[in-house]
Amino acid sequence: MPGRQSHGRPVLPTSGGGGKPGKSHAKTFKKSRAKATAKALDAFATAAEQFPESTRGVRTRGLEDKPNPQKRQRRGEDEEDSDDLDEDEDAGPKKRARRDEDGGGDEDGFDGFSDGGEGSDSEEWHVGVAAEDDDSELDSDEAFGESDEERFDGYAFGGSTSKGKKPKKKKRAGEEDEEEEGEDDDLESLGSDAIDLATALDQFSEDEEEEEGEESGSEEDEESTDGDDESEEDDEADPSKLDALESMIAGFAGEDEEDEEPGTQNKAKLSLKDLGLAGVKDPRMKRSLRLMNKEEKAVKPGSSKKLEVPLAQRQQDRLLRSAAYEKTNETLDKWIDTVKHNRRADHLVFPLAQNAHDRGLDSGELMPITQKTSGTELEQTILSIMEESGLGPSTKAEKKEDGDGQPGLSQAEQQEIARQRRREREMHSREMARAKRIKKIKSKAYRRIHRKELHREEEAEREEALAAGELDSDDEREDLDRRRAMERMGTRHRESKWAKLGKKAGRAVWDDSFRAGLTDMARRKEELRRRIEGQAGGSDDEDEGSDVSDASEGGDPRRRLLMDLERAAAYEDDEEPKSKLFQMKFMQRGEEMRKKLNDEAVAELRRELDSDDGGSDEEEMDIGRRQFGMGNDTAAPRTSQAKKAKAADARGSAKPTAAAEATPQLDTQQRSPAPMVVDDAWAGAEPEPEPAPVESTTIVEWSQAGSSGRKSKKGSKTKAVNIDISIAAAEATKAKPRPKPQGTASGPADGVQDSDDDDALHLPLAIRDQQMLERAFAGEDVHGQFEEEKAEVEHEDDEKEIDNTLPGWGNWVGDGVSNRDKKRHQGRFITKVEGVKKKDRKDFKMKDVIISEKRIRKNDKYLASQLPHPFESQHQYERSLRLPVGPEWSTKETFQDSTKPRVIIKQGIIAPMSKPMY
Amino acid sequence: MDTTDTVDTPMALVEQPSGALTVNNARTEFRSKAELERVRRHRQAQKAYGRGRQIDVKNVRDKKLRRNLTNLENKYKTAALKAKEAEILLENASGFLEAETELERTYKVRQDDIQKEVGIEVAQKKFELKLNDLGPYVCEYSRNGRDLILAGRKGHIATMDWREGKLGCELQLGETIRDARFLHNNQFFAVAQKKYVYIYDANGVELHCLKKHVEVSHMEFLPYHFLLATLSISGQLKYQDTSTGQIVTEIPTKLGTPVSLTHNPYNAILHVGQQNGTVTLWSPNSSEPLVKLLAHRGPVRSLAVDREGRYMVSAGQDNRMAIWDVRNFKEAVSSYFTRSPASSLAISDTGLTAVGWGTKTTVWKGLFSKDRAVQEKVQSPYMTWGGEGQAIERVRWCPFEDVLGLGHTEGFSSIVIPGAGEANYDALEVNPFETKKQRQEGEVKGLLNKLQPEMIALDPNYIGNLDLRSEQQRKADRDLDAPAVDVAEEMRHRARGKSGALKKYLRKQRKKNIIDEKRVKAEEMYKEMQEKKDERQKERQAELGPTLSRFVRKD
Repeated sequence: MPGRQSHGRPVLPTSGGGGKPGKSHAKTFKKSRAKATAKALDAFATAAEQFPESTRGVRTRGLEDKPNPQKRQRRGEDEEDSDDLDEDEDAGPKKRARRDEDGGGDEDGFDGFSDGGEGSDSEEWHVGVAAEDDDSELDSDEAFGESDEERFDGYAFGGSTSKGKKPKKKKRAGEEDEEEEGEDDDLESLGSDAIDLATALDQFSEDEEEEEGEESGSEEDEESTDGDDESEEDDEADPSKLDALESMIAGFAGEDEEDEEPGTQNKAKLSLKDLGLAGVKDPRMKRSLRLMNKEEKAVKPGSSKKLEVPLAQRQQDRLLRSAAYEKTNETLDKWIDTVKHNRRADHLVFPLAQNAHDRGLDSGELMPITQKTSGTELEQTILSIMEESGLGPSTKAEKKEDGDGQPGLSQAEQQEIARQRRREREMHSREMARAKRIKKIKSKAYRRIHRKELHREEEAEREEALAAGELDSDDEREDLDRRRAMERMGTRHRESKWAKLGKKAGRAVWDDSFRAGLTDMARRKEELRRRIEGQAGGSDDEDEGSDVSDASEGGDPRRRLLMDLERAAAYEDDEEPKSKLFQMKFMQRGEEMRKKLNDEAVAELRRELDSDDGGSDEEEMDIGRRQFGMGNDTAAPRTSQAKKAKAADARGSAKPTAAAEATPQLDTQQRSPAPMVVDDAWAGAEPEPEPAPVESTTIVEWSQAGSSGRKSKKGSKTKAVNIDISIAAAEATKAKPRPKPQGTASGPADGVQDSDDDDALHLPLAIRDQQMLERAFAGEDVHGQFEEEKAEVEHEDDEKEIDNTLPGWGNWVGDGVSNRDKKRHQGRFITKVEGVKKKDRKDFKMKDVIISEKRIRKNDKYLASQLPHPFESQHQYERSLRLPVGPEWSTKETFQDSTKPRVIIKQGIIAPMSKPMY
Repeated sequence: MDTTDTVDTPMALVEQPSGALTVNNARTEFRSKAELERVRRHRQAQKAYGRGRQIDVKNVRDKKLRRNLTNLENKYKTAALKAKEAEILLENASGFLEAETELERTYKVRQDDIQKEVGIEVAQKKFELKLNDLGPYVCEYSRNGRDLILAGRKGHIATMDWREGKLGCELQLGETIRDARFLHNNQFFAVAQKKYVYIYDANGVELHCLKKHVEVSHMEFLPYHFLLATLSISGQLKYQDTSTGQIVTEIPTKLGTPVSLTHNPYNAILHVGQQNGTVTLWSPNSSEPLVKLLAHRGPVRSLAVDREGRYMVSAGQDNRMAIWDVRNFKEAVSSYFTRSPASSLAISDTGLTAVGWGTKTTVWKGLFSKDRAVQEKVQSPYMTWGGEGQAIERVRWCPFEDVLGLGHTEGFSSIVIPGAGEANYDALEVNPFETKKQRQEGEVKGLLNKLQPEMIALDPNYIGNLDLRSEQQRKADRDLDAPAVDVAEEMRHRARGKSGALKKYLRKQRKKNIIDEKRVKAEEMYKEMQEKKDERQKERQAELGPTLSRFVRKD
């Protein structure tokens, strides 16, 4: 049965080796007990003395050596084993030889041991075994061994024990399990050895003696049990003995069994003198003995010179592994930046620059020659010449030293200066920051108040409706709530929890409906944006997001705003030493002014908040004379137009004060600097060319022209008069086409007209042409027709409701049906056709334009059906498409950059990166 | 409206009635000069070469996306900046005729005066062709301005390299010619004759007779799409692909006889001037006009769109000339007036507008400018020509030259208008000095880069944009009448090759163990096939009898 041999033996080489002969020897040596005892003692002392060191050495060496300490303990058992074996079959010399081999192999691990004994002979071991019977010390070891046996069982014999052996083993394991739970993890038990010895010493330093006594007693018990085991060769566990063992374990003051067990063993070792080791001659032994003695005397366990019992192999390995892991991580982490950088890099070039052969060389500019660096004769000569002519480096250095104004400035001082400068800069911008803050509060306040008002109005409206009974309150409300909830659950609301959740979970990837919602949202946004652009015309919607968040906050917003304002108002710079710059008059003045402005703004805001009156006026800064202390009405909205009008007034044009009330139209006309000149030859610039409605007669037309002429510069006035006269001459029937306010026909006349005499002659003709044209096209009402057409198109595109009710379907039809009946059946089946509402049209409010709202299907081919993966919004995606690559649309550099391959491999040896780059 | 920004003009003082000075757009933050310069440069680059509004990168949640988008934005920025910097390479400066004193007018300068002052080479560009008999003549230049085609109403066609005075071909067709136009290069030209449109090559050989284009009065060629668009007297608008020869679309405009036609070079949309004073915008993709705008009170006599596609100039029978902003279809400037209805309009590369009316031609400068927020009315024209009895039929600017070509009743005149042409040409686009080889290569490249007619839309940047229809709409738009795809039929059609598509499909599907409708169908079919096969086998075996049946070939 090779299987049996193969696993029974190699694990226990020495014991195996000593197994069979051990038995016989035990019998023979019984007679010469004294001698044997001496020998055994000697061997054991050696072992005990060497135990820590040898085990340490062994343990660190490798796993195969590990079971060594247990081997002795296994011996007894193995004896039984071998007995069984002998009974079963005759193993013969072959087996033995093999065992010897094994034993020999093991000897390497126990060099000292074998030295102490008789060389490589296994006899020594037999002696030990034989002595076991009566030696208490040995027995304490035996106790230890028993627990170890269990460990042994745990990993060495795991699944490979032979059938004959197994049940016995199991029994034993069962016994031990009862006694010591968790003992099977030999690692821990051994690992805790070292620690527990220390703690045990610590805790029980006072009553050591008692315990030892106790221990010895218990040990004797153990010994007896073991002895029984030995002698009887019986594996059955005696319950009474078990109890005794248990009681012994309980005797240890409340310690864990697991912890106690090694403790016993160690304490047993303390009685060195009992071992009779006082007179050891070997110097090495002596030294170690001394050590042990010292340790014995030492009060503190930590201060002992003796090395502690090493950790178990596996635990040590684990520690090593974790340390190694950390170390490896550390080294690998060094590369993270490099890897990241390379991953993100647009282009990578191989071979790497850091591996280039000329890496260390500086390819930068040449350094200037100094006395030290001038190597060649030529350089030296040139240098000397330059020196002579006062251009050399030494002169410069001198100068530099002279120029260094603050040579004694220490670094700290310089830092101080820098800090001060920074502070100044900061202070300068402080008032700015304040102004900004106030502005923000202002806009917020304005919005908030207005929103609130709106809300209130809505509420009131609703209330009214409710009161009028138009709203079926409960059902309606529930319906509304439900709808809103559903919407929130969907992705229509960008801010909603659901949308956020979905976004986070990446639902867009797999959920079609979610994606549809996203698209829907994008579409709505687009619509909104268009509307804002189209109608508001650049009214910035600043901090929309903040508004939303604000809305979600509770509390009285106004009070909070006020508080904000308070804070902003209190935002003063703490007293700090003013710099030179700030001590200057004009700076202070400027600062003062700005502050005043801010204060003013704050006051105004406060007033607004108090009065709940949000009149927004644009920010303008006034410099120069101002008037303060005016009431609310002066701060009332001043439109830019009015201002401009005033400005124009101030410029000195002789306009009546009514100009201040000038309409925007008039204003724009004023602003256009070009004079309205009547240019005949090119018939280009006709004054007031507005497409007049056909109904208006020519007289009206002309009066309009006159009015516009009045507004124009005076240069054209002379011409205007000319026109008038000519018209008057040409069409005498027309009575006084216009009033003549332009008596002031002075000023430099426009050069065009003056120099152009023959053109001037044609002028009346041109005008007459115009008039004739007016008449010629008077018949057709083009605009009216166009408007009609537009209305038609609008109606056609608008959403419609189609009544599909068939007459006679579900009711009577024909004569005799009452009107009421007819009416009741009128709109029973209505289908709604989606369309474009009038106000949603692209050409809404655009004059004379019809823009088709029909979808062009052929173009759909080139649209993206859904938002591509990495993008989060439509804008991001569409923006990413706008950069063309082709050489036609960008410079060569840009083109090459954009088409450069990501990895460029140049000729050369591509060596791996030698060190992290970043 | 004041549109100055803080960086460009830092201070704008406005006096208040109280005497106080108000600073509009006060620059409050402190910036160094270099910083200001840099910002200004950026802004200018953005204005000239920028590609739309920047997106807000900070709000992007995904880190990687944020980084990518930031990189992208940087790329946009650098691209614009580089383009701006590359302006230094545009070595040829363009300039206009300028009056020295207040009393001087540029429109007073006559062609003779210019000819005297300019160099011989330029002076040679002013010439007259007296073709009294077969006029009035229409003229067109090829895209690079090298060649000129003249077509007399009464059947005279001539192409020429006008700078060298070399005649390409001359034809006497003997029938009415309404329009003539070069195709993508000078090698082909299309002529709208009395009944059909014909295509000739450079030697005057008739290549095609387009019989589908009947009684065409106006033609346009869209160079990037290789589309020849014709507008017939009856109002039929037809697009023909000249690279494939297919007719792309035929659209009845249903608005009567059209009066004028031009195309917007920016988005390849056709602008058609109608009898009733409206201008309609067409693309080959819709049967209705995309936009209809009422421009004049009488027929729209002529139309022209500037090369950037921003402004359109229209001239009507009502003697008015209007400037339109085509991006939002608003009239940019209240109209100008012509002494008699304009017959032809043309806009040069630099934005000069030539108006041919009656016997005269007027050139306007600065009718529109994209730099100005509000267009101003120009008081006097830049240059004038004519008034000598020849009714102007067509005016056309020669690309890359300061030359205006005028086709009239007495032939053709080429006059020099300083500052009309683009000074710096882009050889990647059109090369006026191209060699034969380059022309050939350009033709091939043009064909490779050909745009599809479906890509034409008012906003040419729409391609790749997100489809914003709701799912509901999309469902509704889907063709519900289309027959359902028959799996079996599809399989059968695909069943080519030796092993058979069905077997292959099943082989692959069986591995996957996914059972769906298609697979079930396929299995059924396979079974059917097997049964048939077996039957055949049996038949054959039966034919051969019991003894010989074993020799029946299995297939």
